[in-house]
Parts: sequence; structure tokens; C-alpha cells
Amino acid sequence: MKISLKLSDRILLIIIFFATIFVLISFFVIRGSLMHILILGGLIYVISFLMTYFISRFFSQRIVKLNFKVQEMAAGNLSKRIKALRNDEIGQLTNSLNELMGRLQTGVAQDVSKHHELAKAKTDFVAIASHQLRTPLSIIKWYVDYLVAGDAGDINKEQEKYLKEVYKSNERLIELVNALLDVSRIDVGTFSIEPEPTDIIERAEAALEKFMPEIKAKEIHLIKEYGQFPLLELDPRLIKMVFHNILSNSVKYTPRKGTIKIGIKKTERDIYIKISDTGCGIPREEQPKMFTKLFRGFNAKKIESVGTGLGLYIVKAIIEKSGGKIWFHSPSLELLLDAGKKDSDIPLDKRNRGTTINITIPLKGMRKKPGSKKLNSSEY
Amino acid sequence: MAQKTILIAEDEIAMVEALSKKFEKEGFKVIEANDGEEGLRIALELKPDILMLDIIMPKMDGMELLKKIREDDKWGASVPIIMLTNLSDADNVSEAAKFQVYDFLVKTDWRLDDVVNLVKQKLNL
Repeated sequence: MKISLKLSDRILLIIIFFATIFVLISFFVIRGSLMHILILGGLIYVISFLMTYFISRFFSQRIVKLNFKVQEMAAGNLSKRIKALRNDEIGQLTNSLNELMGRLQTGVAQDVSKHHELAKAKTDFVAIASHQLRTPLSIIKWYVDYLVAGDAGDINKEQEKYLKEVYKSNERLIELVNALLDVSRIDVGTFSIEPEPTDIIERAEAALEKFMPEIKAKEIHLIKEYGQFPLLELDPRLIKMVFHNILSNSVKYTPRKGTIKIGIKKTERDIYIKISDTGCGIPREEQPKMFTKLFRGFNAKKIESVGTGLGLYIVKAIIEKSGGKIWFHSPSLELLLDAGKKDSDIPLDKRNRGTTINITIPLKGMRKKPGSKKLNSSEY
Repeated sequence: MAQKTILIAEDEIAMVEALSKKFEKEGFKVIEANDGEEGLRIALELKPDILMLDIIMPKMDGMELLKKIREDDKWGASVPIIMLTNLSDADNVSEAAKFQVYDFLVKTDWRLDDVVNLVKQKLNL
């Protein structure tokens, strides 16, 4: 059986050892000369000094070594184990540390695999949702199309009206599915940003085009302030999506005869996009939630019941992942003050109105982001 | 002008029917296939003027079918092909580009009339 001594036992032994020598020497000193006393005293001093030095060095070096290895493990090398050389307190501490690391490693491994599992579940959801939801949606779309076109025989006005309602609702569902898929791709991080030389003004105009019938119908005053731009390194689909999602809100919430202003200018380092409207604005108490998933202002819900609350969340993700910034002001006096009016000229009932969304993207362009999926469908 | 033939390979019967009725109205001769293998067999036999291939299909998927058709030296190498999808997956888009296919038609985003117009444009009609 191996006899192992505890650290405290060793120190005790050392003390006993020196005490014995001291007693022996004292015995000689009583009989010896002064010279003997000095020589022996000096000798004892030197021996005890050296022994203390080596003993403490022996222990402190082991602790330093142990600490060094623990730091290595703390830095992330969780699979590292320390070999216990002796079975004393330091050896036991070493074994306890190894055990602790073992448990930590299993815990981390479980967390990581759980995380992967969740991410995979999300991706699977995307795949399933895309196929399972989109297939029936496109079948509905095409058959309604077919019926409305009269390809399956004449339909009367009433039937046409109802079919168009079916078509509109189906389009809303398609839009919702698209937005949900985008959000899921943003959250899983699989969406790509692919910059190429792009005419930013053309992209803004392309997004605007879709809203022109509504802008005209609501007699909205549209102001455009475009700077001169060379072709910029932007993802053409994503930048159009940014304009589309912001304008969609502006057009929806700006009342009849209101104003929307689109500014695209160049600053020293950035492309500065500023879209203002005289819409209902965002209630102050809800502003912190502005860019969160599914957010819709309570005043907005009263004006328009339709809306996914995903548009600005998607915009923010696109802008920030491509190296830009986004912020907003509401109420926005931007447009009311534009007309040369003073603050005090603005009627009280309009003071709480309007939103301005500001975006900057570096002039050098959007940051490329590799990814297996594109955001949204071919519409953009 | 001779009647043009279009092959539609798509496993969703209702979808094939909507497309084929529309194309027949527009004066096309429509051939249907409900899986990739059937699509390949019919395509090589009848050599249609244009093909629309769904990507997710049983037996052989649309991407595989596309590659097999392009392997045919004369007709297959140059016949116009349009891919039908539910999502334009970046991997498939770049893969298809290697086979000179640049049209990815995301079904939910296209009206039937626009589908017909795209096909006519491909055939220079």
C-alpha cells in the first residue's frame, strides 16, 4: 500500500526535523566553545534557509503549473486534462478540476447540439413551410386567374367581384408567407447579401412604381430629392426591398392629400436615404418596439387592419447586416417645416404626426454576406 | 405557323392542369409529365419546343432532369427550359446557370398570363 503524506504532514515533519537538530546542537553548544556555537548556528541558518526555499519552490511551482493549465482550459480547450503526479492536496485538486472540466464539457456539448438542433428545426420549418404553403397558394392563384380571365366560361359581375376578393386575400397570404420565410432566414442567418454595381435611384423608382396607383388615388403629394450617384455596390434585390417595405408603410398610413418625401443623397462617406411621411406616426410609448418582429402601432392598427409587422424588422436586418445604420423620428415635423413654416405654425392636431426613417449605407457599398438563401421571392 | 409543343413536368396535378388548360387556350400543344423519369422519357421521345420543369418531383428531380436533357447533343443542348419553383434557392440558381437556364419562375409570384408571355418570349412568338 502506498503511503501518501498530506502537505500539512510534511511541514510538520520538517518542523520536527529542525527541532531535533536544534536540540542536538544545543547539546553540543553547552559543551563546546563560542566558535562552535557560531559555526553551527550559521550552518543551521543556511540549511534551514535552503530547505525552506526548495520546499516552497517545489510547491509553488506545481501550483503555477497547475494554474497555467487551468487557464489553457478556461480559454476554451475543454478537452484538456491535467495529470496528477502525486496524491497530495495538489493532486486531489487536480483530479477535482479534471472532473469539473469533464462535466463542463458534457454540458457545453449538450448546449451546442441543442443549439444546432434548434437551428435545424428552424431551417426545416422554412423548407416545409415554403413547399407546403406555397404550392396550394399558387394553385389557388392560378385557378382564380383562369376563372377571372373567363377561360373556363363567362362569369357575371358579382362572381368576378368575389373571385377578385379571393385573389386579393390569397395575395395577402403569399405576402405573409414570404415575409415569414424572410424572417426565418434572417434569424437562422442563411440569407445572402450579393452586392453588384447598382443604380440606387432606379431601384427606388422600381419600388415606388408599385405604389403609384395608390399614391394617385389618395392624391398624396410626392417629393423626390435625388442626388447624383455612380453605380454603387448594392444588392439590387435587397435595396429594392428596403425601399418597398418603408414606402409600403408610408403609403398605407399617410392620409388623403398627405405628403411623402424620398431623399437619396450623398454625404462624405455614406449614401443617406431619408423617407418622410405625414402619416399617423408611431406612439411614443411604442417606439422602442419599432423594429421588433410583428410590431404594429396601436394607431396604425386602427387605420389599417392588414399588416404583418415584419417589414421594418426585415429592413433593419438587411441594413445592419450590410454595414449600414437605420433610425427614425416620430413625430416628424420634417415635411411640415419644409414648406417654410415655423414650429408654431403647425396646428396642434398635426404635431403628433409623421415618421421619418433615416438610413445610411457606406458609399463603398453593402458588405457581402455569403449565405445559401436569398431573401424573398423573385419579385424583388 | 406550326403549333408549338410545351412539356410541363410537375407532380402537382392541379398545377399541371391549370397550366395546360391555359397553354391549350393559347394554342399550344401540351405534354404533361408527373415525375422526372416520365419527363425525361417523353422529352427525349417527342422533343418539345420548350420545357417547364418543377424542381421537387418524385423519382428524378427537376435539376437532375435538366442535366439529363442537356446531355442530348442536338435537341437537348439548346432547347429553352424554364424552371418552376417554390423558392429560388441560390444553389439551384447557380447550378442551373451552368446549363444555360436563367429563368426561375417562382409560382406564387407569377400570374398565368405572365407565364404564357414568358414562354412566348422564349420562343420568339
